[in-house]
Amino acid sequence: MSAPENTGKAGVLVAAEDAPITDKLAHATLDDVLYNIVHDILIKVHRDEKTARANTAAIKVEKLALNSIDSSSTDQRPDVEVETDSAIYKDGNVTLKGNPLKTTKEILCPKCHLPRLLHPTDGKGGKKPDPSVIYCKKHPYIEKPGYDIYGQTWVAPGPGRGKKKKDMKDKLDPNDPSSPAAIMEGSAKDRPPNVLSFPSATCSKCKRCILVTRLNNHMGSCIGNSGRNASRAAAQKISNSNGGSQNNDNTPPGSQKGTPLPTSRAASPRKRDGDEFDEDAEESDPTNPKKKKLKPTALNKKVILKAKSPAATLKKEKIAKGSSMLNVEQKADDIDGNSTVQVAPKKSVPKGPSPTKKIKLNPSKPPVPSPGGKKGKRDRDMESESSGTLSSPPR
Amino acid sequence: MAARPATPASPKNHKVKDAQPGQPMYGCEHTQKLFNQDQNTTNTSIQHYKSILRSIFDTNPLISQTTKGSDGVIHTTLTPAWLCLQCPGTLTEEDLVRHGSKKQHRFYVDSRNAALYCQMCDDIVWDPTFEELRIQKQVTGTFSTSRKRKHEELPDPIKDNPTFISANTTIASCKANGLRGIYNAGATCYQNVVLQSFLHNPILRNFYLSDGHQCESPHCLSCAMDDMFQDFYASEVTNGYTAANILSGFWISEKKAFENLVTTKEQDAHEFFQFLAEELHERNGDGKKPEIGSEHSCTCIIHQTFYGKLQSTTTCQNCQGVTNQVQSFLDLSLPLENVTPASAKKKKAGGAKATVMTLQDCLDEEYIKSDKCEYRCHNCSSMQQARRQTSIKRLPNVLAIQFKRFEYKQGRHERAAKIDTPVQFPLSLNMLPYTSRARGGEGKENYELARSCTYDLLSVIVHVGEIDTGHYVSYCRVGDQWFAFNDHKVEVAQLSDVLNAKAYLLFYMVRSLS
Ligand SMILES: [Zn+2]
Ligand SMILES: [Zn+2]
Ligand SMILES: [Zn+2]
Ligand SMILES: [Zn+2]
Ligand SMILES: [Zn+2]
Ligand SMILES: [Zn+2]
Ligand SMILES: [Zn+2]
Repeated sequence: MSAPENTGKAGVLVAAEDAPITDKLAHATLDDVLYNIVHDILIKVHRDEKTARANTAAIKVEKLALNSIDSSSTDQRPDVEVETDSAIYKDGNVTLKGNPLKTTKEILCPKCHLPRLLHPTDGKGGKKPDPSVIYCKKHPYIEKPGYDIYGQTWVAPGPGRGKKKKDMKDKLDPNDPSSPAAIMEGSAKDRPPNVLSFPSATCSKCKRCILVTRLNNHMGSCIGNSGRNASRAAAQKISNSNGGSQNNDNTPPGSQKGTPLPTSRAASPRKRDGDEFDEDAEESDPTNPKKKKLKPTALNKKVILKAKSPAATLKKEKIAKGSSMLNVEQKADDIDGNSTVQVAPKKSVPKGPSPTKKIKLNPSKPPVPSPGGKKGKRDRDMESESSGTLSSPPR
Repeated sequence: MAARPATPASPKNHKVKDAQPGQPMYGCEHTQKLFNQDQNTTNTSIQHYKSILRSIFDTNPLISQTTKGSDGVIHTTLTPAWLCLQCPGTLTEEDLVRHGSKKQHRFYVDSRNAALYCQMCDDIVWDPTFEELRIQKQVTGTFSTSRKRKHEELPDPIKDNPTFISANTTIASCKANGLRGIYNAGATCYQNVVLQSFLHNPILRNFYLSDGHQCESPHCLSCAMDDMFQDFYASEVTNGYTAANILSGFWISEKKAFENLVTTKEQDAHEFFQFLAEELHERNGDGKKPEIGSEHSCTCIIHQTFYGKLQSTTTCQNCQGVTNQVQSFLDLSLPLENVTPASAKKKKAGGAKATVMTLQDCLDEEYIKSDKCEYRCHNCSSMQQARRQTSIKRLPNVLAIQFKRFEYKQGRHERAAKIDTPVQFPLSLNMLPYTSRARGGEGKENYELARSCTYDLLSVIVHVGEIDTGHYVSYCRVGDQWFAFNDHKVEVAQLSDVLNAKAYLLFYMVRSLS
């Protein structure tokens, strides 16, 4: 091996020409490691970006192919030939033309086929989106101090027992920064749509509507009171009345009452806690019959619609979420997620079954391959690990 | 240094991956040409790529990073070398052009990550056929699609768990992504952090989103979980979630064992994790109580996800008789006191810098080192000195780790105290050294086995502040992106935020499932 040069492949960390050989070696090694880190990141980003663009090229040419045929046809893979700048559609297959990184500029969502917004709408790197374009609803996450990933912020939880939160103030609506009381009711319209208020929820027992920040206290006495917990709950009530009120402080320390009890029950192993082993309990043989084989079974065996069962009606507390969800769905231009302001979940509405609302892993569609997606590969390539090596390479 | 194993080609014909809607069939025009020459070329290309993958991922990296230059000089580099797809040569980057023009070989594989370089595109290409093999090999360590456990130590494959692909869900909008905060219902942040870690646990998510839980019981906590998963992954709502049903299920729960938890004061997230796991086991499992310390073999989703097995081996110092005891575990609970950081031993001389304790130090202490104990030996029929060693007999799919940060201090005033020692934890964790197999001396230098014991960090639960005035926050990973959850608020988190956190609970998922 030749003497090390004074730097590695990245050429960023350079040792002096007259440095001792160990110094040069150290620089060269560190520089190579730096190169590898950058190389690995680059490969990852390259893969994400190029795959997204290649898929965009495919989506576009497939759309053209479908549009080129009779609209009454239900054929998903029409036998036509269509060509764009970036891809060819032929015999139902898409092949690329050139490098998608050069031929394709935008990225279409593989699911809704709308263009992806490529920058956040606010905060770090934020830009206003082009209002003339309908984007896919999956947006880059917002990074802005005081706001969450959707650009939302919250008004103070309300008056009463909650302490006034200093750090809450800067997040308040500028119109009434010091008066949490004013925010409680009727002011929802005055607030910017991304300023949310704390919702209320219905107690499953007494059906009263309780502000979420008081829900635990309420249920403690309402449900806890009903049976075995009566006395404890009563005691709780007393202890809660002296300053045990809750708040929704956003800053971690010092805001919530917290007493992680150290009296952890012993479900986790504590090998040093017990002093000795009972020799009667020894030797559990791993070959005993409980070893069930967990063979994966067919995907569609699993996915069963359940909402039609009477179970759905039994779920009295089921949240009525369908209507508001559909509303949002129809507003294609709703790009800010503002439609969520009104959502104080109304849980009091007892609901009949509404099977269609449930998200499902669709068993009928073939799984779309994704990195790491292992379904659908099951039936191919069962060849063993040790075979399949190239003996005579192709020329 | 083409030291690749050469076994006879399998007679089987290889197939190019079928065309998928919304995806091109080939990585570029040139792989397209390669795969459309004749069956023989397709066979040899795929076979050779597989042998390259084996060489990269299953052998010492020295082999794939060693090149023989045109001058005949053998050279091993730290940086990537390029393995020719069309002959057994391994080349430096500088030699690629010459090799290409001399031999008309156009495809080269990056020795670090097996990415395919096309010389005619002058770019890395991501060909679906090759990519599928690469990901299979890199993630699961094998081309075999059978999900059978190869070694006893490895987690059981998840039964019936459909792969969650967002593009594959029927109704969910592109906006529904599972990222929502959960309102603090009054000192319930200890519940929120655990719920978030369940929500972003792919196994539990797949279970609930595929209607894995079906029942008709009123006030069922598992049904409440089901509702919550639906609300997170099927609705476009971005406002915080009100976990009212979880909370009432919690208050209604008959579990006497958890009386400690059932108060409106802030509680221990670890206890809530145990509560939730056991409650969900009872709603989904075999109906038996999850026995502590015994070998309970339930196949419910909670057991499949979290439970593993420990083996304690006690050796009598008098007669050398060995006693084995096996017990199930939901999580590994690691003491932070009396742990010697490995780094402290190495550089005793240095002394200037404070040594930082690592998760591996804590695991070494518990699952590699042995300790002395007294026990009643059956052979000797008397109390004897014994050595005891505990190792992991069966790894779980999701490894839950608790650092014992809250301990009773014995002393004049017996009271709970918080141990605030920082503990470094890695993004990916090799659990092989802590298994019973490694204990037997097996598995060293076995790259494939080590990879199947590799875990990736999934979520981190942090307790901030003092023991009785603190607050819980958490970090969860979605794909490669980390998010910080602070009750109703979700923010993007930097990796450094995550890794610098003083973790209380850690969740790692076995890589072969990711
Ligand atoms: Zn979309
Ligand atoms: Zn009530
Ligand atoms: Zn070659
Ligand atoms: Zn090419
Ligand atoms: Zn249920
Ligand atoms: Zn179970
Ligand atoms: Zn003995």
